[in-house]
Amino acid sequence: MSYIAFSETHKAFGRRHILQGVGISLREGQCCLLTGQNGAGKSTLQRIIAGLERPDSAQVDVGDGYHSWKAQRKFLQANCVYLHQQPFMFDGSVAENLAYALPRTLTKAERLHRIQVALTWAGLEDIAECWAKTISGGERQRVALARAWLRSPRYMLLDEPSNNLDEDAKRRTLTLLESLKVQGIAMVVASHEAEQYRCIADEQLDLAQGRISARTGVGSTLPPSNIIPINKFQQA
Amino acid sequence: MEHLSNATIQAFYLLFSGDRDLWRIIGISCRVSSLALMIAVLPAIMLAFILSYARFIGRRFVISLFNTLLSVPAVVIGLTFYLLLSRQGPLGDLHLLFTQSAMVIGQIALCFPMLVAMGHAAFQSADKRAWETARTLGASPLRALLTIMREIRFGLLAALLAAFGRVISEIGASMMLGGNILYYTRNIPTAIALETSKGEFAQGIALGLVLLLFAFVLNTSLHYFQGKGQVIA
Ligand SMILES: Nc1ncnc2c1ncn2[C@@H]1O[C@H](COP(=O)(O)OP(=O)(O)OP(=O)(O)O)[C@@H](O)[C@H]1O
Ligand SMILES: [Mg+2]
Repeated sequence: MSYIAFSETHKAFGRRHILQGVGISLREGQCCLLTGQNGAGKSTLQRIIAGLERPDSAQVDVGDGYHSWKAQRKFLQANCVYLHQQPFMFDGSVAENLAYALPRTLTKAERLHRIQVALTWAGLEDIAECWAKTISGGERQRVALARAWLRSPRYMLLDEPSNNLDEDAKRRTLTLLESLKVQGIAMVVASHEAEQYRCIADEQLDLAQGRISARTGVGSTLPPSNIIPINKFQQA
Repeated sequence: MEHLSNATIQAFYLLFSGDRDLWRIIGISCRVSSLALMIAVLPAIMLAFILSYARFIGRRFVISLFNTLLSVPAVVIGLTFYLLLSRQGPLGDLHLLFTQSAMVIGQIALCFPMLVAMGHAAFQSADKRAWETARTLGASPLRALLTIMREIRFGLLAALLAAFGRVISEIGASMMLGGNILYYTRNIPTAIALETSKGEFAQGIALGLVLLLFAFVLNTSLHYFQGKGQVIA
C-alpha cells in the first residue's frame, strides 16, 4: 500500500515559525481533515506536501525510508496534486482547462472522451465551452477538482474545497470527494469548518501554534496510524 | 518655404514611385533590426523568467542593472563596440567594424536590456498560481514556462514591440558601427542624417515619414496589447 509520511516539518516566514516539527501521513484511500484557524499554516503544509513550497527542513518517507524533502520532491510533485484555495484557471475554455491535466500522449478521441467523463462527473456539461477566467467562484472549484482528478493522482491536497459553494454544491463536492476516496486516492482536506467533512474524514488533525495539536480518530475507532481503508474492499 | 513643400512633394513621389535606393535603405533597416531582435529575444525572455522565478543572490542587483542599461544612449553603445571591434581592439581580428553584423551586434546590445526589463515586468505580473497549477497538474518545467508565456502574451508582445521601436529608430550605434555605406550599412536614420546634412531634404522627409509610420503602428499596437493584458484582473 502506498503512503507518504512527513515528520519534523519546519517552516518559517521571516521570524514567524509557521510549522514547528509537524508530522502527518497519507495513506491510500484515506481522508485526513486538516483544521486550524486562519493563518495556522494549513495551506503552507499542503503546499509542502505537494512539493511546491520548500520547507526549512522535513523528513519524508514515500515508501523507501526517510529522506530529505529535496530528495523526495520529484516523487511528491509527480504523485500529488494541490488544489489552490482560490483555483487558477488557464486562459481558454473550461474543456481546455480540463485537457491541460491529461497526458499529452493520448489520442484525440481518448482525450475528448476523458474530458466528457470529467465534465459529467463534476456536473460541468453546461459550461464546458465557457471561458474559464470568467466562470463563478463555485464553478472554478468544481473545474479545479475535475481537472485535478483527470491528472489521476495518488494524493490530493484540497485547500478549502467548499470555499464559495452554496449548499447544493457543497453536497455535490462531498459526493465527489467520496468517490475519490473510493478510487483509493489519499486526501488531505484543509478547512476551518470541520463539520461538513466529518462523514468522509478518517482522522482530523488540528494545526495550532505550529504543531498538530489534536489527533482525533473520526469515523473510526482505530488509532489513526492503523486505519485500514475500508474502501480497499469496495474497490476490489 | 517653397523649397520645403517642393521637397515634401518629391518625398511622396519617391515613396510611391518605388525609388530603388529608398527602398533598399528601408530594407536594410528592417533586416538589421529584425535580425537583432530575433537573436536577442530568446535569451532575454529566458533571463527575464529566471529573474522572476528563481531566487539567487544578486538577483535584485541584476534587475536594477538592466533597468539602468535601459537608459544607456545608443551612441555610448556604439562607442563601446567601436572600441571593441576596431582594428586595435580586442575583437579587431574579426574584422566586423563597418559591416551589417556590427550593426546587428550594436542593436542587440540596445534591445536586450529593454526585452529583459519589460519581460521581467510581464513575468512579475503573471499570477504565481499559474506556474504552480501547471506544475502540479504534471506539466514539465518547459511546458509550464510556455503556459505562463501564453498567459502573459500581451505583455511579452508589448516588450517585443517596444524593443523593435527602439532599434529601428536609433542612429548612434548604426552610424558608428555600420559606417553609413550605401546599399550595405546605410539604414533609415543614418540616411536621414546624411541627406539632411547634404541639403537633400526629399529623401530625408520620405524616410522620416516611414519612421513615423513605424512609430505609429508600433505604438498603436503596443497600446492595444497593453490594454488587453489588463482586461482580466
Ligand atoms: N509566501 C509567504 N511569505 C510570507 N508569509 C507567508 C507566505 N505564505 C504564507 N505566509 C504566512 O504564513 C501563515 C500561514 O499561512 P497559510 O496560508 O498556510 O495559513 P492557512 O492555515 O492556510 O490560513 P487560511 O485558513 O486563511 O487559509 C500566514 O500567517 C501567512 O501570512
Ligand atoms: Mg489556507
